[in-house]
Amino acid sequence: MSTESLPRPPSARRLELTVISAAALFLIVGFPLLHAFGFVSTFTISLWGKYLCYALLAMSVNLLWGYTGLLSLGQALFFALGGYMHGMYLMRMIGDLGQYHKPIPDFLVFLGWTKLPAFWEPFSNFPFALTMVFLLPGLIAYVFGYLAFRSRIRGVYFSILTQALTYAASILFFRNNLLLGGNNGFTDFKFILGHSLVDRETGPATLRGLYIATALTLLAVYLLCRWLNGTKFGLVQQAIRDGENRVLFSGYATTHYKLFVFVLAAMIAALGGALFVPQAGIINPEEMKAQNSLEAVVWVAVGGRGTLIGPILGAISINLLKSWASRAFPDLWLIMLGGLFILVVLFLPGGLVSLPKRLAPLWKKLRAAPTPSSDSQPSTLNSQLPR
Amino acid sequence: MSYHPLLTVEDVSKTYDGFKAITNLNFYLFQGELRTVIGPNGAGKSTFFDLITGRAKPDKGKIEFGADPAASHDLTELNEYEINRLGIGRKFQTPSVYVEHTVWNNLVLSLKGPRGVFASLFRKLSSTDRDRLDELLKLIRLSDKRDWNAGLLAHGEKQWLEIGMLLAQEPKVLLVDEPAAGMTDEETHRTGELLIELSGKHSIVVVEHDMAFVKQIARDNQVTVLHQGTVLCEGKFDEVQSNQKVREVYLGRGKHGTR
Amino acid sequence: MNFFNRVLCLVAFFAAGVAPLLAADTARQVIVKAIVTEDSTEKRTLIASLVGQGDEAIPTLLDAWRKDLLFFYTPAEGAKIAVQLVGEKDEAGAQSAVRVDTGAPLTGPSGQPRRLVAGDLTPVDHNSSLRRAMKAVLDLLDLAAPDPAKRIQALQTIGQTQDAEKLFALEARLKLEADPHVLRILREAIALIHLKDAKTEVRLAALGELKELHTLSSTDFLKKILADAEDAKDAASASAARSALVAVERHRSAVDFFGTIFRGISTGSILLVGALGLAITFGLMRVINMAHGEMIAVGAYTTYLVQNIFGAGITIPFFGLNLHLGGLHLTGSAYQWYFIAAIPLSFLTAALAGITLERTVIQFLYRRPLESLLATWGVSLVMQQILKLMFGSNNVQVGSPTYLSGNWTVNDVLLGWNRVFVIGFGIVIVFGMWLVLTKTPLGLLIRAVMQNRAMASCMGVRTTRVNMLTFGLGSGLAGLAGAFLSQIGNVGPTLGQNYIIDSFMVVVVGGVGSIVGTVISAFSIGGIDQVLQQYLPAWAPGLGWVPGIGSFLQNLAQDAAVFGKIMVLGGIILFLQWKPSGLFSTRSRTLDE
Repeated sequence: MSTESLPRPPSARRLELTVISAAALFLIVGFPLLHAFGFVSTFTISLWGKYLCYALLAMSVNLLWGYTGLLSLGQALFFALGGYMHGMYLMRMIGDLGQYHKPIPDFLVFLGWTKLPAFWEPFSNFPFALTMVFLLPGLIAYVFGYLAFRSRIRGVYFSILTQALTYAASILFFRNNLLLGGNNGFTDFKFILGHSLVDRETGPATLRGLYIATALTLLAVYLLCRWLNGTKFGLVQQAIRDGENRVLFSGYATTHYKLFVFVLAAMIAALGGALFVPQAGIINPEEMKAQNSLEAVVWVAVGGRGTLIGPILGAISINLLKSWASRAFPDLWLIMLGGLFILVVLFLPGGLVSLPKRLAPLWKKLRAAPTPSSDSQPSTLNSQLPR
Repeated sequence: MSYHPLLTVEDVSKTYDGFKAITNLNFYLFQGELRTVIGPNGAGKSTFFDLITGRAKPDKGKIEFGADPAASHDLTELNEYEINRLGIGRKFQTPSVYVEHTVWNNLVLSLKGPRGVFASLFRKLSSTDRDRLDELLKLIRLSDKRDWNAGLLAHGEKQWLEIGMLLAQEPKVLLVDEPAAGMTDEETHRTGELLIELSGKHSIVVVEHDMAFVKQIARDNQVTVLHQGTVLCEGKFDEVQSNQKVREVYLGRGKHGTR
Repeated sequence: MNFFNRVLCLVAFFAAGVAPLLAADTARQVIVKAIVTEDSTEKRTLIASLVGQGDEAIPTLLDAWRKDLLFFYTPAEGAKIAVQLVGEKDEAGAQSAVRVDTGAPLTGPSGQPRRLVAGDLTPVDHNSSLRRAMKAVLDLLDLAAPDPAKRIQALQTIGQTQDAEKLFALEARLKLEADPHVLRILREAIALIHLKDAKTEVRLAALGELKELHTLSSTDFLKKILADAEDAKDAASASAARSALVAVERHRSAVDFFGTIFRGISTGSILLVGALGLAITFGLMRVINMAHGEMIAVGAYTTYLVQNIFGAGITIPFFGLNLHLGGLHLTGSAYQWYFIAAIPLSFLTAALAGITLERTVIQFLYRRPLESLLATWGVSLVMQQILKLMFGSNNVQVGSPTYLSGNWTVNDVLLGWNRVFVIGFGIVIVFGMWLVLTKTPLGLLIRAVMQNRAMASCMGVRTTRVNMLTFGLGSGLAGLAGAFLSQIGNVGPTLGQNYIIDSFMVVVVGGVGSIVGTVISAFSIGGIDQVLQQYLPAWAPGLGWVPGIGSFLQNLAQDAAVFGKIMVLGGIILFLQWKPSGLFSTRSRTLDE
């Protein structure tokens, strides 16, 4: 089935594919090699590992907002939940090497526990923790999404409610009574699957392995989204974005479609969070602040919503900028971020990805070579995003 | 009546914030019928369609679908997509096509078939499906624009595309809201021909302002005149046209509705 | 202070400031007598007679006496006079002298104030028994302090320590005390001391008294007496203690109940005040302004600025520039006006900020709600950071003017004056908004434009202007909210973030576009929130039945504030299942809104 919405010259497509494959190859193979041979520091590779986790978060935002028109401000929550589920496993792997040298996590000792709370027990098992990484965020997304979509909460109302959900969860996670580390969260991880994260000798290799796993996951999610786009599901998804009522009148239960996307996106975000935690070395309730969800939306908007590569590009470039600017101009960084966002929303709704297309006419003018081609079909219009 | 109507609307009322959009409306549509509904603006035509398609719920009254009284469906209990799946298709007054999708994909989305999430993920178009879509494209004369984004089509072309989308669903009942708006006279005529051709196999309700068009498609069929949310009169086109009350409603208030 | 006093006080404040009180001079005369007399027993008796009196001169003079700052001065022309030396010493070592008997400056023959050198004078002497007597007076002085709150505090301290030595002073006050509220605490203190009495009938009488008074603070003592009596198999005391306890507990639940209602209404008003501006920008204009919270912060910081300008002035660092705002150096009641002045100013500043925002960003996004959400979030980040740069990332101190500080205690229910005023403000502002929207030409224009922008425009309404003014009005209301919220919570750069989510919830639950709905929803959410906070800890043990996580939930529900908030949110989501468009919905008939 053809889902190509804008007939582009095959050369442009080929160029695009080449660039993407080259970038993917570099990120998955080249970068770790550079690290293995000592050209790139372990700090840098972990930093990039975190960027790629953020890219996963951005892809989940894009799946919802870019393709389905659902602006969820709860993706940071799912990201953090995935992180917490994996974090619980990592906390168990510390064993009795903590500050208190007790077989239970330090913060529990601090809270006066002598024995592991029952719900912590199974998290010593990696497959269980991994299942929970998907299951818990998926379940919360399912219940919340079911209630929200069933009562036809749409547009900004959906955004506001997801933000409130995130807010409620974050104040919950700040409490010690939840037995998930309170505002300090989890940190001081030592081992993952038997490999040391902190050892001077083997630590860098473990972190490199984690980086490669993250890059491969990102590739897999990218391919999944690409495949989704090619199916009729992708068509319905985008049709919901552009006119949900029309889709209803075509006999599609939009609730089911939205629910599916919402749960899928929650799981992608959670996976990103799970990969983030061992590389960042910490997870705490700060990660699930509503502001983080909005920041992820900025990445998508800046990169280009409703495109496959935009969110990845946005997440990486904004975080690179953040790493630099928050050190160079600590006072001004947030003003820059806010200002950037206002400018992108107002002047570049297509994001960075749309820049070449926007600049193309200028370029043509500069070359002053009128090309009497298939311009009768206004293909630039095609790329413009819906309201 | 010797046989049961396919669509039964009985004693239905609907109020929006105190405004009586529909009051005690009775309407029966039989298998294969082509019915035209006319009425001045605000007569409740769009609300009438909304009630049948599940977009709005009536305050009171009965809306049933199915020629067999033993197996009929209560439409007031169902929502939009369930009603659509029963075989009631609607074309909207303002052309509602998926502007970001190509003409082809608009039709793919509308094609009769399973509508579930998993079917949409894993089911491929069969060659029969493709043939059917090509056929439809030809019918609505958009074969050469199949890869255009629907948003780029002219108003009349969008109308045609939406008719194509309606046909792709293969509904039992077609609810057609002002199909001729934005079309040239030639296109309008062709739309009329198409609707006439479809009737018999399908049951059709057409809401229209354009009297020439109404005259073309009404022929021997019944015409219903809606006024202030209720049926003013029903009958053959000529009867309706000469009806004193209808003349008052249309002409007495001058500019309303007629063209 | 009771309500009428408070109102009188406020009236007096607004009229002319508080008139200085005329001091009675009897206490001074008693002290002079004690100074003059040679008989040390008489000295002690005179000093002891000051117990329970409220004269402000007593602590000053006794303190001065103990610190050797009282002297005899014998002028050439007469008998010796007791004086107090006060103020800075000049080059000659002389200080101003105040007469002990009148409190007036000591004057020479021609009426000029005399300055004296301490070394030239005989200090008034004192011995240890006299100092003990003075200390007893000073200790019990608070019992007679003019401020009832001070008296209550002193009485409570004595009652809680069951200090039998002070019983006589308390009994002396019993006849003098006129304030019924203080009297109750006084009786409680006496009864509590009596609980330790050796005689059974005195103890039983005290228990009867405590039952009649049913003060909350007597609970622990009653419980102890009950336990002791049960151990000692003293049936009479046990039953008296038990019935007193029952009375106290009944009173406590009534207090809790009314307190919860008050806090519910007050939380509701806070929500309402925060949400009203949003009810206009989001409700009427359908603009999602994520920077609404920062508009609240702008109002609160304006109040802070006005406070500083009324005071010592303030220097604001901003991008390397130091902007200095000079202070008016007002003191006393004139300074207290700052809050009144801040109210219109906070409205104006926030309104101006809102209009700027509307002109520069929002006007391009009217038909794109999701985009306006994102762009205004960017604005909110920028504004937060600017506030941080200007005022620092820590909270700033916004003081409460005298008329807004303290509590109004009605039958043990504490009603904070700031909260009472927020409730009043909520009522005034809702009424004002109703007036503006229904009775003014602007209101008519606003409603016309919000209902049908295109149509209004065709009718010759300058829609851009109306949009601008409406957004300014909504933002101004947020600024007003900020001024009042500065009296309730902390003022910091992230102040707005605390209110924004709640405010959106209130508007969504109330029904977007309905002011009535906003009001009802604010009070419902506020009420439910406070009920949960009050009663959740009591209900928490009932959560044990939940399989698997029962004890976990019990534990969690102890965190009433957090758990209550989460339950409120869950309740809102369930409520929207039932009424998806809120309490009062405005219907739209277009296919896609």
